[in-house]
Amino acid sequence: MSQAVDYIRESSELAQTLEAKTKTDWLADFRKQRLNAFAHSSFPTRKTEHFKYNNLSALTRQSFARLAEADSGDIKLPELAEQLDADRLVLVNGEYDSSLSKLEEQAITFYRDANADQKDFILEQLNKKNDKKNIFSLLNDSLTQDGILIEFNQAQTKPLHIIYVATESAQQKTTFANCLIRVAANCQATVVEHFATNKDATDNSLFNQSTQCVLNDNAHLNHYRLHLEEEHTIHFGELDFWLDAHSQLNSFHVGLGSQIKRLDINVYHQASGSHADLNGVYLSNAQQQIDYHTNVEHRVPHCTTQEIFRGIVGGSSKAVFNGRIHILQDAQKTLAELSNKNLLLSNKAEINTKPELEIYADDVQCAHGATVAKMDETSLFYLQSRGIPKSQAELMLSFGFINELIDGLKHQAVGDYLRPILANLFEQAA
Amino acid sequence: MSDEVINERIGKDYKAGFVTEVDSETLPPGLNEDVVRAISAKKGEPEWMLEWRLKAFEAWKTMEEPDWAHVNFPKVDYQEISYFSSPKSMEDKPKSLDEVDPQLLETYEKLGIPLHEQEILAGVAVDAVFDSVSVATTFREKLEEAGVIFCPISEAVHKHPELVKKYLGTVVPVRDNFFAALNCAVFSDGSFVYIPKGVRCPMELSTYFRINEAKTGQFERTLIVAEEGSHVSYLEGCTAPMRDENQLHAAVVELVALDNAEIKYSTVQNWYPGDENGKGGIYNFVTKRGVCHNNAKISWTQVETGSAVTWKYPSCILKGDNSIGEFYSVALTNNMQQADTGTKMIHLGKNTKSTIIAKGISAGKSQSSYRGLVRMSPMAEGARNFTQCDSLLIGDKCGAHTFPYIESKNPSAVIEHEATTSKVSDDQMFLCQQRGIDPEKAVSMIVNGFCKEVFKELPMEFAVEAGKLLEVSLEGSVG
Amino acid sequence: MLSINNLVAEVEGKTILKGLNLEVKPGEVHAIMGPNGAGKSTLGNVLAGRENYEKTDGTVTLDGKDIFELEPEERAAEGMFLAFQYPVEIPGVSNLEFLKASIDAISKYRGVEAPDSVSFMKKAREACKAVNLDQNFLKRGVNEGFSGGEKKRNEIMQMMLLEPKLCILDETDSGLDIDALQVVAKGVNELRSPDRAFVVVTHYQRLLDYIVPDYVHVLADGKIVKSGGKELALELEKKGYSWLEQEVA
Repeated sequence: MSQAVDYIRESSELAQTLEAKTKTDWLADFRKQRLNAFAHSSFPTRKTEHFKYNNLSALTRQSFARLAEADSGDIKLPELAEQLDADRLVLVNGEYDSSLSKLEEQAITFYRDANADQKDFILEQLNKKNDKKNIFSLLNDSLTQDGILIEFNQAQTKPLHIIYVATESAQQKTTFANCLIRVAANCQATVVEHFATNKDATDNSLFNQSTQCVLNDNAHLNHYRLHLEEEHTIHFGELDFWLDAHSQLNSFHVGLGSQIKRLDINVYHQASGSHADLNGVYLSNAQQQIDYHTNVEHRVPHCTTQEIFRGIVGGSSKAVFNGRIHILQDAQKTLAELSNKNLLLSNKAEINTKPELEIYADDVQCAHGATVAKMDETSLFYLQSRGIPKSQAELMLSFGFINELIDGLKHQAVGDYLRPILANLFEQAA
Repeated sequence: MSDEVINERIGKDYKAGFVTEVDSETLPPGLNEDVVRAISAKKGEPEWMLEWRLKAFEAWKTMEEPDWAHVNFPKVDYQEISYFSSPKSMEDKPKSLDEVDPQLLETYEKLGIPLHEQEILAGVAVDAVFDSVSVATTFREKLEEAGVIFCPISEAVHKHPELVKKYLGTVVPVRDNFFAALNCAVFSDGSFVYIPKGVRCPMELSTYFRINEAKTGQFERTLIVAEEGSHVSYLEGCTAPMRDENQLHAAVVELVALDNAEIKYSTVQNWYPGDENGKGGIYNFVTKRGVCHNNAKISWTQVETGSAVTWKYPSCILKGDNSIGEFYSVALTNNMQQADTGTKMIHLGKNTKSTIIAKGISAGKSQSSYRGLVRMSPMAEGARNFTQCDSLLIGDKCGAHTFPYIESKNPSAVIEHEATTSKVSDDQMFLCQQRGIDPEKAVSMIVNGFCKEVFKELPMEFAVEAGKLLEVSLEGSVG
Repeated sequence: MLSINNLVAEVEGKTILKGLNLEVKPGEVHAIMGPNGAGKSTLGNVLAGRENYEKTDGTVTLDGKDIFELEPEERAAEGMFLAFQYPVEIPGVSNLEFLKASIDAISKYRGVEAPDSVSFMKKAREACKAVNLDQNFLKRGVNEGFSGGEKKRNEIMQMMLLEPKLCILDETDSGLDIDALQVVAKGVNELRSPDRAFVVVTHYQRLLDYIVPDYVHVLADGKIVKSGGKELALELEKKGYSWLEQEVA
């Protein structure tokens, strides 16, 4: 057996090497502090509660200690780029690609070009995220040499379609990206974060990505995060939503399984009256893993959360859903509901779900429900009795199970784009 | 709570100088191989039992105290505890109820405990020849007739070594967890129950009837074996608060339900919870687990209102096909109490079923957590679980938490989990008050209603007392 | 019996009752009508002592006793009964258990022997019958899963059992169909007696066809702006409330 890679040490060294070429000195202290925490972390094992169900051996089997670089080869954008009437921001292997991007209404600012106010905001926001349990988040912080700040300052704009493409040259390398979105008070924005691979040969590329979204007073954000990459990619993603007074978040997630795919989504209700809808579907097959860890924190009174995630788990794959609702002592009059339903399709597949409630305020209404089940036999029989072959009936029911959520999407173009992809997936699985 | 207080409580009998004298009444604090040997020797145990204890002790030394529970308390110094203390002599005990803490007596009064039972519970030195002994004797005769063995486990080690050897440690292995390993090494005594094939135990077995010989101390060990097709209902504890000098309790309970057997195990736990400032109180770290063979059923019912810190997960391993596991629980915490309790249902056999109904009530500044695991193994064809856990909050300084782990590897298994959190609403309180019911009574009625699904699983007279117990435990929780 | 003098009350800092006067003698039935937001429900809740309903001025006495010196349960024991506009559900607590606790507590306060279980059960069954509720309702959780009509009938059933001297009906008719309304009215009428008084708060005249009042008062903007006999109710039905509001303004 070849020697195991020390992921923590190699990544720390990578971060140190990069420090010499930085364009954002003003973030140096932040990086240093986080790198220190990262370098002193231990690599998660099965006993690490936060990564209990993740098999991370892919990270120690081979080295990812090189950074992926910009690639100007022949890049095909996903079809949604054509179907959606939107501004487009394209990052290839984490680097901004001006020729593929199309920014007509919406401006972006690189951290390296930020003005004094923007610097303050970026620093404040980066310092707010402090998830010591998640080494991948710490590493992302340690490597924040640059990033993209997107500020929505108009009452209404076209959706912004952010496409992250990985190409062959990202193989066995690490890609980092850091994005900060701010929806100003009383403004409304739509952001589609879309992760794709250029070709099927993107073997073992590792993507570590962080998105922070700040919703100021009465801001509305429709957010989509689509993970449709090829199945050999590894992804660690962190998403934080900071909700000010009366802001409204609607965040929808689609995740297809891959070698390792782990998303940590945090919603912080930090001023009264905010509302969050957090919904998603995950589908895994073959040997894939997919893991959604959501954490909704109610810190103040009178906020509401509705969360629905559904999963379909087939092949020899493994899906994890951990949904935590945390209500702090001041957060009276909170309404929070979480539902997680899963369909397990195969004898070798595995689902681990853990809906958690942690409640320190008494005048709240909270509930969660979780189910794991096979397909409803009565429904199956009903379809069969109308002459539909069993295999097709199963497809219909599986698809229906998630289509309920897709149908509810605010942007029909996104739903229209997703439906055939997902339907096709079921057919392949069958 | 300061370390001194704990040390004061647990190190009471400290005798200067460490001498492993086999015939001394109380061993000096500390734990090493000699202490394990001394405990075994005091009980005159056979060599195999000593070997077993030593193996456990070796394992324990390599283990770490678990820290994942949602509880917070100062670290226990295991070298400060005395691991053997034979029953106090008559002279040391209170001579009469006049010498007992009046608050304790007041509680007995409220629960309607008969006077002589009060004496036993409060540890008053009563003459050995009193009513309940003859009661106990008649019980024994009746049980013997049916072929049921119900005796202290120390007695079983001598009289039924083949049974003890065959089953002890098979459900909760020596290395299972830190507290279980500790218990294996130093367990003082406990109950042994054996129900022969096809026998329906003629009465509810209760530790209550063994109370005069109970004094089993802090490391209690219980083993219940139900042979094929047999049936037993076992009641542990009693509803009145127990006077107890021990700070740390680490008990182990093992249940074996062979094919078609049924074991119903009910607990009312009301150890001293500490005062309203969180001073004193028992640490209750218990490992309870049962294994079900084909068509067998194990049902755990617990009402937990006592102890400062509770760490307890009565579990079922549903090994046999068509076996059934049930867990009904009420956990009430008040003042500074902390409870982390729940269950594990491990489905291994086909068509196994489990039901979990857990009700948590938090009042005062207490923290109550449900922690559960439902696991469907790849072999668990057609298995089914239903879980309902509800939390009720009384007051805005307490916390209620739910940590359910759900793991499935079988597509034909069905798992349903639901949880809710609510409070005793102002509207409900006002309605009760408008109908003339005072606030304390109103809260206790509402709480009793909330717990109804669990209480109905308790044996009749236990259920009535459990209701009263909640009332007493909730006193002072409404401002 | 009930004497309300210049009552000013607020809910969550907002003044709702602004100097209300009302005198109720034993045997009388007073109807209080008024537009939405006039303070009708506030009156019942202030009298019964609901939390957050604060008296800021004025006096209210029940048979000479200052009710604001009393806890809600003491007011109940003194003989005040509020039939809730929105009866509350208490899951798991059976009606029977609830009523027994209520009767026991009130008897204790009054220093009288509580009825034994047998006679209590008998009375409870009779009361159920009187309001057309199946006896199974006694075993079910308080209002748990009851329909709107069943909840209201349950309130009247409780009123029959507790035998209060002052009954306040807070919009008991709202949401009821005619059949249910008749049942409720019949229950109330059976309870009418020379030493018992009723304050019937309602938005609609319809209820007063069945429970005929001795006096009708119009509550608008926190005050009683007009009082009269039962014919006033009919007038209101015809003309609505706006003419009165204009008159007052």
